[in-house]
Amino acid sequence: MIGGVLLEIVAVGLVVVGVAFLLAGTIGLVRFPDVYTRAHAASKCDSAGAGSVLLGLALHDGFAFGDLKLVLLAILVVVSGPTTAHALARAAMRSGRRAWTRDERGPA
Amino acid sequence: MRTFALALVLVVAATMVIGIAGLPPHGDPDGPVHTHVGARYLEQGVAETGLRNLVTAVLLVYRGFDTFLEVVVIFTALVAVLALPSATRQPPPPRGEGAAASRREADDAVPVSPVVFLVVRLLAPFIAVFALASLYRGHVTPGGGFQSAAIIGAMMIALGLVFGREHAARLVPHGAKAWLQALGPLVFAAVAFVGWRLTGAFLGFPADEAAYALREAMVVVLEVAIAVGGAVILAQLFMALDAPS
Repeated sequence: MIGGVLLEIVAVGLVVVGVAFLLAGTIGLVRFPDVYTRAHAASKCDSAGAGSVLLGLALHDGFAFGDLKLVLLAILVVVSGPTTAHALARAAMRSGRRAWTRDERGPA
Repeated sequence: MRTFALALVLVVAATMVIGIAGLPPHGDPDGPVHTHVGARYLEQGVAETGLRNLVTAVLLVYRGFDTFLEVVVIFTALVAVLALPSATRQPPPPRGEGAAASRREADDAVPVSPVVFLVVRLLAPFIAVFALASLYRGHVTPGGGFQSAAIIGAMMIALGLVFGREHAARLVPHGAKAWLQALGPLVFAAVAFVGWRLTGAFLGFPADEAAYALREAMVVVLEVAIAVGGAVILAQLFMALDAPS
C-alpha cells in the first residue's frame, strides 16, 4: 500500500515537473530574442516537458502492460524533439542567421 | 496598447471560460451530441451497416458522399497546385546567370545533418509499420485510410528531405504516378458503382450477414485506396511546393 502511495507521489511529481517545463518552454518561445534561444526553449517542452508528463502518466495508477505505449511515446518525443531543434538551428545557421548577443542586440 | 491587449485577452478568455462552463458534462447521455443522430448510429449502426467500427460506418455508409467528396477535394488540391506555373516550370535563368547557378549549387552542396539522417532512417521503418497498423486496425479501432495517408505521406516527405527529392520520387513508380494520385477518387467511384449494382443505391454497401466478406472487401479496398492515394498526393504537394520557383 505504501508502495502504491510512493508510486503515486513519483507519478504526480513527474507530471508537475513536466508541466513546469512546458510552461517555461512556452514562455521562452514567446519571450526569447532569436531563433537559437527559441529553439532551445521549445525543445525543453518536447524532451523534458512531454517526456516527464508521459512517464508520470505511465506510472499513474500503477504500471500496467499498456503503459509501455506511453514509455515508447516518451522515447519518441525525446528522440524527435532534439532532432527537430537541431535541424532548425542548423538551418538558421546555414542561412546566415546571427545569434543574439547582449552587446549587439542582434537580429531579433 | 498594452492595456488594450490585456483587456482583449481577458474578454476573450472570459468568453471562452463561460462558454466551456455552459457545455454539458463530458459523456453526459442527455447531451446534444448523444440525442440526435448519434443515438441512432450507436443503437442501429451495426445492424444497419454490418460494420463493427462505427466510425467507419459513419464515414463510409452514413456519410459516404461526404467522404467521397473529401477524397475528391484532396485530389483537386493537388491538381490546383500542379496547375500553378511555378510547380512544373523549370526556373527561368535569371540575370546574373552564374550567381543563381552557384547559389543553387550551394543549396545542393549543403550536406544533410548526420543527426537528422540517422534519426529519420531510424524512425522511418517504425513510421511505416505504424501506418500499416493504423490502416489494418482501422476496421475495429480508431485509425483508417485518412490517418494512414497522413502517416505515409509524412514519412515520404521526411525521407525526401534526407535522401533528396530524386530518391524520394522513386518511391512512386513514374508510370503509375498519375494513376496513384487519382487512386482515391477512382476507386471510390468504382466501389460506389459496385454498391449500386449490388444494392440499387449509389455507394450502397450490402448490409446482410451473408455479404460479410464482400462488404469487408469493399471497405478494405476503399481504405487502402484512400491511404495510398492520399499519401502520394501529400508527398507530391510537398515536392511541388518545395520546387524552386
